[in-house]
Parts: sequence; structure tokens; C-alpha cells
Amino acid sequence: MSGKATYKTFKGGIHPPYNKELASGKAIRPAPVPSEVFIPLQQHIGAPNEPLVKPGDRVELGEKIGASEAFVSAPVHASVAGMVKDITEVTGFTGAKVKCVVITPDAEQPEFTKQDRDITALSDQEIRDIAREAGLVGMGGAAFPTHVKLTPPKDKPVDTVIINACECEPFLTCDHRVMLERPHDLVQGLKLLMRAVNAKRGIIGIEANKMDAVDAVRGAAKGEAGVEVDILEVKYPEGAEKMLIFALTGRKVPPGKLPSEVGCLVQNVGTAVALYEACAWGKPLYERVLTVTGQGIKDPANLLARVGTPISTLIEACGGFAGQPGKVIMGGPMTGWAQPDTSAPVVKGTSGIVVLTSELVDVGTEEECVRCGKCVDVCPMFLLPNFVVQAVKKEQWDRAEMWGALDCFECGCCSFTCPAYIPHVQYVRKAKAEIAALKRR
Amino acid sequence: MKVADKMLVTVSPHLHKKDETIQRAMKDVLIALTPAAVWALVVFGFNVVYILAVSCITAALSEVVMRKIMRRKPTLSDYSAMVTAVLFAFLLPPTTPLWVVAIGAFLAVGIGKELFGGLGKNIFNPAIFARVLLWFSPLAVYTTKFVKPFFWKTSGFFTPIATSINEGAVGRVVYKTLAGNPVDIPTAATPLALLKSGKWLPDMVAGPTPVGATWLNSGGKPSFWSLFLGAKSGCIGEVCILALLIGAAYLLWRRTIDWRIPVGIIGTFFLLTLVTWHHPIYNLFSGGLFLGAFFMATDWVTSPVTRRGKWIFAVGIGATVFIMRFWSLRPEGVAIAIFLWNIGTLVIDRYIAVPKFGEVGAKVFNQLPVLPEPAPEPAKKQA
Ligand code: SF4
Ligand code: SF4
Repeated sequence: MSGKATYKTFKGGIHPPYNKELASGKAIRPAPVPSEVFIPLQQHIGAPNEPLVKPGDRVELGEKIGASEAFVSAPVHASVAGMVKDITEVTGFTGAKVKCVVITPDAEQPEFTKQDRDITALSDQEIRDIAREAGLVGMGGAAFPTHVKLTPPKDKPVDTVIINACECEPFLTCDHRVMLERPHDLVQGLKLLMRAVNAKRGIIGIEANKMDAVDAVRGAAKGEAGVEVDILEVKYPEGAEKMLIFALTGRKVPPGKLPSEVGCLVQNVGTAVALYEACAWGKPLYERVLTVTGQGIKDPANLLARVGTPISTLIEACGGFAGQPGKVIMGGPMTGWAQPDTSAPVVKGTSGIVVLTSELVDVGTEEECVRCGKCVDVCPMFLLPNFVVQAVKKEQWDRAEMWGALDCFECGCCSFTCPAYIPHVQYVRKAKAEIAALKRR
Repeated sequence: MKVADKMLVTVSPHLHKKDETIQRAMKDVLIALTPAAVWALVVFGFNVVYILAVSCITAALSEVVMRKIMRRKPTLSDYSAMVTAVLFAFLLPPTTPLWVVAIGAFLAVGIGKELFGGLGKNIFNPAIFARVLLWFSPLAVYTTKFVKPFFWKTSGFFTPIATSINEGAVGRVVYKTLAGNPVDIPTAATPLALLKSGKWLPDMVAGPTPVGATWLNSGGKPSFWSLFLGAKSGCIGEVCILALLIGAAYLLWRRTIDWRIPVGIIGTFFLLTLVTWHHPIYNLFSGGLFLGAFFMATDWVTSPVTRRGKWIFAVGIGATVFIMRFWSLRPEGVAIAIFLWNIGTLVIDRYIAVPKFGEVGAKVFNQLPVLPEPAPEPAKKQA
């Protein structure tokens, strides 16, 4: 074979500037313990947790401090040992108020004491129970409780577990580092996932710009039955669930349906490793690897940060701002949330903090749509984003639905490429809310 | 550490493609039109500059005034009026009197674009709109007289043209003030008109004449080279296929235009001429097919936004041009074909379905889903 290698991919999508080199060479190091941690009681999609502690209580590292009886829910754990100072509302990363347990950490923090459990003996139900007790949620951003995903409907058996190791968001490198530094734990996590849903096949999909990770994971997966490592084209949003399933297996999840419809289960790298830690070590999910990066950060890094750490602590740990910070984004620059200040705490779904300098923030003014069709070309769901926007402007909700408002997963490709600088995602969110309200009637 | 007053909070995504703006795209089109404009200058003399200048100035003035009247924010800086002005000038014969040019440029930008709601809202490609309007107006007589290529060799490069038809008209005064005494230039038929009248058709299949002394000499039968390189009579912007292709290649490389539309138009036309035993190459190289296919039909605003829609649109134009060329009284039909399919765009975009990712079954037409009506507001009780 000659010429450029072609890798698996999907139709549509974009090639944003990646800027991965800022942090990809930095080994994971622990972040400092802040003077106060703010642990949101609800960090997942689903029922809210009730606090299990009250102000004045002492909590140990990894102690459960919030839980709910509901099935679609995941408990939260203390990320430090210390005293509960308060239970109060603070502004979360989405801008909405969230109820937090505020803990003042002890000066000396203990190491987590690992248990030594035999993971090969666990049954599928035990794995699900451990996942729930450890408070596992999807760590790619959406934060859906993992045990729920591991309980697919009876009539839709899962035959393939996919690890989303694309990390297609620009700037972020935490999954890359985890794959390099802990490939064994990732592969074992995948095996646990496969066992939990009784799947024969497990695929780890990695983008072609991380060949060192491919080698590392391939090495760790050698001899493991049913585990494959596949290389994907570098393109955004390669890691979107439906796109990833299509690229790796050729199966198409129908609109409005879940991956289990086509026998697939997708989990993030972080989640797989966290499942391994929970099963093998008895460690709940109270800390995670994340990337603090961007041209607006002095010394970009990959940090092991405790849930509840304010953004400001992490930025200081990376040398502070370089130049004038234009935008501080929680998550990746394509789907993350811009922050008004640096006080919001890190949650389980936080994959990174990206600081763009004010020169790099490209804010055009919104113009009339010129019908160039570029948004239509790049939409990986084959929607018509420009018509959705038009319908929303006229408040024609049925039309917004016809053009695909409900099928949009807010990847932002359309806005990235739009010469008229139309913020499609903003309109889509409005349409979703209005359509949902109408349907509830 | 609060820096709230300095940080920007907007909805995702937080990145935007570099250099992807309306302004940049319009500049690209202007750049792409330059080779054809330069060539027009070579074939038709300095007269081309007068026409372009009048068209641009009128277009700019029309836009500014119309937007003032309609209380919209000024948009001159996006260059779209300039693009329209140049394209409109390209559709005119080099003999067009300047006052007709001015009227046309106003029709294009003032009416065709602004009255329809401004850039993005217009139904018709503004340049085509004005051109078609002129055709069906009494002014048509001014816009159908063509001249021989390189006529200026006998009259001087800088001499403005005045065809006998605008003797004594306002245009003559304008020309006079601009550049002294205009001269009368004999008109010549375009290759298409010759083709229409059935001349030379039998021996059209004679192979191409190599570049040399003969290709510039358009006295006899135009060779393939003279057609391709643009030594022929015709509208200002349409004559040199090579120059148009260079510009088109630039636009395709910049991804300003979608390749499906020109390929669809030219391909359809080519196939239809082939199967009906008309000489395909000769027909392709005569008239404004390339100008229309690459620069007019690809207009973002007035062509469909979906890939499927673009194919329908392009094939439709190709077929319409074919029908106009061989079964209508006019020798040329590209502008009118595009004009008609600009209307078609409205229908295509609304009714031709695009299956979403993962959707099964070939849905062909769109149907509105049914959402419950919003409940009526509870009537306020009178106090
Ligand atoms: S990319 Fe922007 S300008 Fe182009 S069609 Fe879509 S919404 Fe309109
Ligand atoms: S419409 Fe939605 S899914 Fe499609 S490109 Fe835009 S954000 Fe992505």
C-alpha cells in the first residue's frame, strides 16, 4: 500500500486547530489540595442526591456524603478528609446554582488505602453494584450514571463495548496521558465492562494523532480475548457516540435511539479506568485526571484533581494566567462552558480547563444567514442547522423539529464553520426546551 | 481570583474557523473574477473599465441609499454589492451604454437584493435578476449588440465605444465627458448566434487549430482554441473559458463554491448535446455557460443548501439551458435558466427531504411533524 493511510471515520465534521502539543507531553501529576472543596451533591443526569452529612461532621477520604434511592442516580464521595463546614449553594460550571457540601480539608491528607480484590471472580451484577456504589458516571462530559448504562434493556443485548479514546476535542490531552501511563488499567476496565453486559467484543477507538497511545494500549491488550484497538481519522466530533459506533462497526443508531439499539455500549477512557479502580481497589470516584491548558495558561499540565477543587486552585497550580485571559472554558472548546469567573468547582465530568487569550477569542457578530450550506455539509447528523435557526426565530417549533432540532447533539460544527457567525447551538437549545414543553402538555 | 469583568461568556463552541467570514468569501469571488476581467480588457479595450466602474459605483450607491431608506445597518463592507456589480457587468456586451449599465446595476442591488430583504433573503441572484429584467424591457436593444474581438486595433485601445444605436442618447454625453469622442464600432455576431443560424455546423468536427496566427483572427470560423482562450465576441465576462476556469479553480480550492453545481450543469448540458448530435465541445465553449455555472448558479443565497438539492438544481439548469439553446428564439439561455431555478430553489429546499443520520427508508419529501398547539392564554378576569 502506498500513499496516506486512511482510517475509519464518518461523514461530515470539521478540522479545528488541535493545539494538543501544549499539554500532551506532560505526565500526570497530582493537583494541590485546595483550602476548601465544594462537592456538588448532584454531578450526573438523573435524580438529585440527599446529603448524608451535616455541618460540623468529620468525613474520611472516599466517604459517601450524598446518595439517592432513585435508580438513575450516582452517589458522591468526599474527595478529602476533613470537616464539613457547610452545605450551601454555589454557582456551578453551567452558571446554575448547585447544592454543595463544603469541606475544610485536614492539613495532612491520607493516601487512599487500596484493597486487593480479585476482579476475575466478580459477577455481572456485582460489577454493576460496585459501579453504582463508587458513584461512576460518564467522564467525557455528559455524566450519565454508569450502572444505568450497564443495565441495557433485556430485548436489546449488547455485543460490543466501545471505549471512546478519540479525545477529538481540541486542546484536551488527559485521555491521551491516561492511555500512555495506565494502559493496563484501561484494558482491564474494558474487560470488566464487557463482563458486566456480557459482550464478546471490546474496541478501543483512538484517533490517528496519538500513535504512541495506540502502541501502549495494543501492548497492554495483547493476549486479551475479544479486545481490539482501532485507529480513527483525526476529525471532530469523532468521539460523539453515534459517530464513533458508525466509524468502528458500521452500525447506525437511528435518530432518537440509544446505542443499545444496535448492540453497542460506549464508555469513556476515564470511566473504564475508574471502574477498574473501583473493582480492584475499592476506590470510589472522587478524583480524576484533567487537562489545564490553552495559550492563556503559563504552564499547561495534566492534573489528577479532586472533585470539588475550584478552577482557580488548578490554574494557580499551572503557574497562573499567561497574558490577558479572554475565556476560561470548563471542558473542551467545542462543547465546554465558558466561565464568568474561576470559582466553579471541578466535577466528575470535567475533562479539562482551557484558557484562551483574548487575542485568540474569535467573536464575530451574528449576521443574516447567507445560505452557504456549510453548516449542512459539516453536520454529522445530516441536519439542517440553518433552517432550525430560521424556525426558532419565527417560533415555528414543529418546523424546528422537522429540520432536526431534537436530533442535534450540540457538537458545534455548524457554528464553527458558519461565515455568518450564527450561534446555532444556542437556538437549538431553545428549540429543544420549547418542543419538550409543548409535548409535555 | 475574580476577573469577571474581563472574561467573555458565550455558548459553545468557543472556536471559529479561521478566515471563514462572508467578507472573505466575497473577496474570494472578486479575486476569482479578476482573470476574466483582465482578459475582457484585452479583447474589448478600455471600454470595459468604464462599464465596470459605472456598475460598481451605482451598486454601492444603491445599497447605501436603499439600506438608509429601509433603516437597515450598512453592509457595504461585506463586498457583496461589488460582487453583484462585477457579475452584472460581465453579463453585458461591451457596447452597452453607460446609462443602461447604471440602471441595471440599480435594478440588481437596489431592487434584486435590497428590496427583497438584503443579502441572504433575496430570491434571485441580483445580477441575473437585473439582466433578465433588461432583456424583457425596452432597453433590450441596448444590450444585445456585440462587437468583434480586438476591434480596438483599428480604433484605439482607450476609445469608448458607441454603437449606432445610442447616437444622441445620454450615454453619448457621458462617454464624451469621460473620454472624448466615442467611435462607432460595427457589431458582430457571437459564435452562439452563428451556431443558432446554422452556420458552420457541418464542419464543426474539424480538429482544434493549434495556437498560432490563426486563433486571434476571428474573421473566419472560430477555432476551438479561439473559443477556449476567448478570441470571440460575446459578453464582457464570458469570453475566455481559460480565465474563468482559473478563477473557478481558486474558488473550489478555497471551498467558497460547491463543485456539485458546476459539474451538474456542465455535465448535464454536455450529455444532452452529445446524445442529440450537437457538437458538445463547441456548444460548451460558446456563450455564458461557464460563467453561469461557476459564478452565478453557485451563488450561496439563491441555490439550495443541501447536497441533494444542489444536484437537482444543477441538473435542472443544465437541461433548461439545453432547451433554451435549441428550442427557443434566443441564442443564449444561461441567465434565464438560472433565474427560473432560483425560484425552484425555494421549492427544493422546502420539500426535498434529507434523511438524518441513521434514518431508514428513503424519505423523498418532507412532511411537517405534528406538535400540539400551544394552549391558549387563560383569559384575564376583569377586576
Ligand atoms: S453556515 Fe451559516 S450562513 Fe451558511 S447556511 Fe449555515 S447558517 Fe447560513
Ligand atoms: S446541528 Fe447540532 S449536530 Fe449538527 S453540526 Fe450543529 S451542533 Fe452538531
